[in-house]
Amino acid sequence: MKLSLNWLSDHLDLSGCTTEEIADLLTFAGIEVEGIEQKGAPDKVIIAKILSSDQHPNADRLSVCKVEYGGEAPAQIVCGAKNYKVGDHVPLALPGATLPGDFTIKKGKLRGVESEGMMCSGRELEVSEDHEGLLILPAETTVGNPLSSIFPNDTVFELEVTPNRPDCLSHLGVARDLAAAMGAELKGPRDHAVNSIPRQPANETEIQVSAPEACPLYTARRIRGVKVTESPEWLKQRLLAIGLRPINNVVDITNYVLMEMGQPLHAFDVAKLDGGIHVRLAAEGEKFLALDGEEYTLADDDLLIADQSRGVAIAGVMGGEESGVTESTTDVLLESAYFDPPAVRRTSRKLGLVSDSSYRFERGVDPHQVAGASDLATKLILELAGGEADAAILVAGEAPTLTGEVVVDASKLGSLLGKKLTPKEIDGPLSSLGLEKTSTDDAPSTSTWCIPSFRLDLQRPVDLYEEVARLHGLENIPASSQGQFVDASSEDRSYDFDRTVSAKLVGQGFYECHTIKLIAERQFDDHLCPLIPGEPVALKNRLSDDHSHLRPGLLPGLLQVAERNVRQGAKSLKFVESGTIFIKTKGGKTLEKQHLALLMSGPASDPNWTNGAPGDASLSHLRGVLDTISPHPVSLIPLETNDELIVRAELKIGKQKIGLCGQLWPAKARSLDIDSPVLVAEIDLAKLEKLSTSDAVLYDELPRFPAITRDIAMEVDRSFANGDLVSFFEKHNQPLLVDFRMFDLFRDDTGEKLAADRKSIAYSLTYRSPERTLETAEVDDAHGKLLEALQKSLPITLR
Amino acid sequence: MLEQLDAIQQEALAEIPSIDSEPALEQARVKFLGKKGTLAAAGAGMRDVPKEQKKDVGQKLNEVRQAITSALEAKGQALADAKDAESVKDIDPTLPGIAFPRGAEHPLRQTLDRAVQALRRMGFALASGPEIETEWHCFDALNTPADHPARNESDTFYFDDGRLLRTHTSTVQIRTMESTPPPVRIIAPGSAFRRDEIDATHLSHFTQLEGLYVAPGVSLADLKGTLEFFFRSLFGDKTALRFRPHFFPFTEPSYEVDLLLESKSGTAQWIEIAGCGMVDPAVLEAVCKTRGDDAYHPDKVTGFAFGMGIERLAMITYGITDIRLLIENDVRFLRQFA
Repeated sequence: MKLSLNWLSDHLDLSGCTTEEIADLLTFAGIEVEGIEQKGAPDKVIIAKILSSDQHPNADRLSVCKVEYGGEAPAQIVCGAKNYKVGDHVPLALPGATLPGDFTIKKGKLRGVESEGMMCSGRELEVSEDHEGLLILPAETTVGNPLSSIFPNDTVFELEVTPNRPDCLSHLGVARDLAAAMGAELKGPRDHAVNSIPRQPANETEIQVSAPEACPLYTARRIRGVKVTESPEWLKQRLLAIGLRPINNVVDITNYVLMEMGQPLHAFDVAKLDGGIHVRLAAEGEKFLALDGEEYTLADDDLLIADQSRGVAIAGVMGGEESGVTESTTDVLLESAYFDPPAVRRTSRKLGLVSDSSYRFERGVDPHQVAGASDLATKLILELAGGEADAAILVAGEAPTLTGEVVVDASKLGSLLGKKLTPKEIDGPLSSLGLEKTSTDDAPSTSTWCIPSFRLDLQRPVDLYEEVARLHGLENIPASSQGQFVDASSEDRSYDFDRTVSAKLVGQGFYECHTIKLIAERQFDDHLCPLIPGEPVALKNRLSDDHSHLRPGLLPGLLQVAERNVRQGAKSLKFVESGTIFIKTKGGKTLEKQHLALLMSGPASDPNWTNGAPGDASLSHLRGVLDTISPHPVSLIPLETNDELIVRAELKIGKQKIGLCGQLWPAKARSLDIDSPVLVAEIDLAKLEKLSTSDAVLYDELPRFPAITRDIAMEVDRSFANGDLVSFFEKHNQPLLVDFRMFDLFRDDTGEKLAADRKSIAYSLTYRSPERTLETAEVDDAHGKLLEALQKSLPITLR
Repeated sequence: MLEQLDAIQQEALAEIPSIDSEPALEQARVKFLGKKGTLAAAGAGMRDVPKEQKKDVGQKLNEVRQAITSALEAKGQALADAKDAESVKDIDPTLPGIAFPRGAEHPLRQTLDRAVQALRRMGFALASGPEIETEWHCFDALNTPADHPARNESDTFYFDDGRLLRTHTSTVQIRTMESTPPPVRIIAPGSAFRRDEIDATHLSHFTQLEGLYVAPGVSLADLKGTLEFFFRSLFGDKTALRFRPHFFPFTEPSYEVDLLLESKSGTAQWIEIAGCGMVDPAVLEAVCKTRGDDAYHPDKVTGFAFGMGIERLAMITYGITDIRLLIENDVRFLRQFA
């Protein structure tokens, strides 16, 4: 909402405050200031009178004017406008004046003719909408006076009022709250008194309300014989300052009262109404032409203000195109009503139609100001448009009572705030907000307060405690702290585990990624996210096809990251991400799991000036990385390949399946613009955590006796899987063998040193006894037996 | 005999200093001191020495052996020194380093982690809840009116079964209180979702950090003290904070927290950083309803809650102006946070 300081000053003396101070007051009253705008005529813009106008000698479209502006001699001004005549009063910006848009006027030559300033349009000065040429000022204005004498300077605050404070959606409302915040008095009354206005229950031919739940109170007042014209300057200025376009005096007055009191009004042209007002629900599919020129289709839960033949306004939202007040209107019917907030909200939202009216009705207006607003508008209409008003306001229904009494318990208030307040510190703020203390109860610390009808948000004790805290100011409440010892939760442990794993990977050159959890259906692939059988979870109301599903795995996101980085020229890719994945199981249950995914591609180590061009990372590199985050070396159990993965393996630690590991098909990698092998793994992080933390770490005694190693080289078929050797060594029953380590793999595609269909694998075997230094003969014996067994159980030839 | 020994010594001491390699030095050692060396040969003549001279000759023999050994050692040391000097001659400290692998934690995780660690020092334990939530946990239990705009399908992602993607991590407040009796003192980092188009300042999926402390006698003063301590531990002792009265359905009173931060141009500006407030009694009542007890009855316990956007915190911390950088994972960006 826009708030004019001049307007606000009608109600509250703010002359002692700077703009910043007022902004601070608003801020700490809980009304956010989103912007501040200075309005009005700029300095050094003077009311001038055009004395003569001659054709510019060098430019057809320009004229050269002599203008009187209160200086010693008339000024010569070059002008492009045509809408003036000699003798008109116009605004003249003198050299040094700064116009909106930070445009400073200088003396200069235009097409060779001296110009000592600029005559301006209303829009150039941002004082009016007028832009068809110079702003022609009324003849009674005084030449030589600053223009700001007719267009006063104003400061306009753009406010963000929270939804609980509809009472602050008007100038009077903000003034009330600021006065309380400042501890100042309002200049006038807190509301526009209504008691004195005669009211008369409407009969059904005048006002018929068929939907009293949606419209508990409807009032109308007839004013005959008005003269609809332009509004006077002060009224136009008020509306322009807060961004409303003046239309005519009657419409402007309804808008003025809206912005003054927060009560939306509507004025109908009586001549365009067919009989009395009928407040009813629309018929399903009923069409309505609103004054924004659009036709809306209504439903049977939309509230409509109708006459006897058609709708004339969507209740609380917008009036009709055909029943509004125009220059030809003579009799006006002024509507002021209370509509049920949810009903207005529903209709407004459904139609996508938000107006200053609907904005207020859906938040809640003060039902007890409905008649007061009507009365204020009537007075202004009579004053500015003439005519004669009916003696009484016609009233259908009753203003609902939405506020009552609330009990304040000072001791509860004190413990909620963490500061004991004196009775004065409680009563002061509440009274200043217009609450009335009706009684002090028996218990010494409680008091009962009557809530004014405009404070719909004050229903419970805590609502009043908030008001006291707000006006007391949090800066006046001490800062303290308290809390007890807390155990680490399972989330704490998982968080730490996740960070530890990430830190290990980061230490090996991985970049941690954070991708959006919403992915496109096309990114989802059974073969890349197979950890849990099921389907990805689809959004009902996706915003775009790129973000239609929750990710069922992390690899689709990491592949996108890889693709992006390769296109940006990255060569070495090492990415890791941990986070939630979502799966809809066959049983229809939605699972949320914490996963960890890795992606590696490109040079295995960073190239530098000593290692030339390092070779590309292979699956073995990724496996080595996985070993560093696993409590025991991982095992990869080859699976059948599929469309996505040329190498695919189940990732296991011990007997526990924890994930998937593999290498993308080269074609798939190329589709991402990647030429090197792309290695990926995805792991169930919770399982990894469990395996990593389930066994207490107990230290092994350091070996006291020397070890003896024996190296062996074996020739095997090229298709022979090393895993068979590993299983053999793991399962052997040779007690002296304590370690085995592969140290070479040799293949020769040329067949020169080794048949091309064969390969050589070399292992280093370590023998040691925990009890004594081994004799060579003992080791030879043990080694011999082991090799014998090895040759028997596997198709190998010792080299 | 004595002359012979003198001659050996002279020869050795003349020859050794001119030796210029370790093998030559070893040859010299063998030549003079070896088992078949000249000194050994001379020593073999010992048995022919008259008894009364044996002592003198023996002594001389030792002196000569000593002298030659010293000369050899000195030469050995000199050669080793020269070799060492030679070996470091090519060291050029201005050559580039040979890179070890270097990755980086994501700046968002680093930011979150700093916040989490600060709050843990203050005795908050981590808590979590599902990201696919019920309307009850996301809105109803948090005192959000049935027709609140946040519930609209235009603002919130829904699933066919009526559940939704949580729009804030405040759902964890409810989840935690439903499952744990008071006192609770928790923080919940996690994802939240809003149906926003992604642009320089919006993401449809973002990260929040929620905090909740509910116990008998928790006050607004405690909230103030807690957040002041927290933000000063993140941004420095002298960080200025202000609490602006605000409105959230699930807290009352509610505040927004601003930090006074210097911008790149050097001017200090209040930057909105968090929302907070005292847990609304309606929230506690809703929890009692699902729990079926009155452990959280508003007469028994009070509490405070706070929440902040981690993307925003990271953007402020690192001066990032486009939020999308945080989800693009461009290595050129990530590398800056190593």
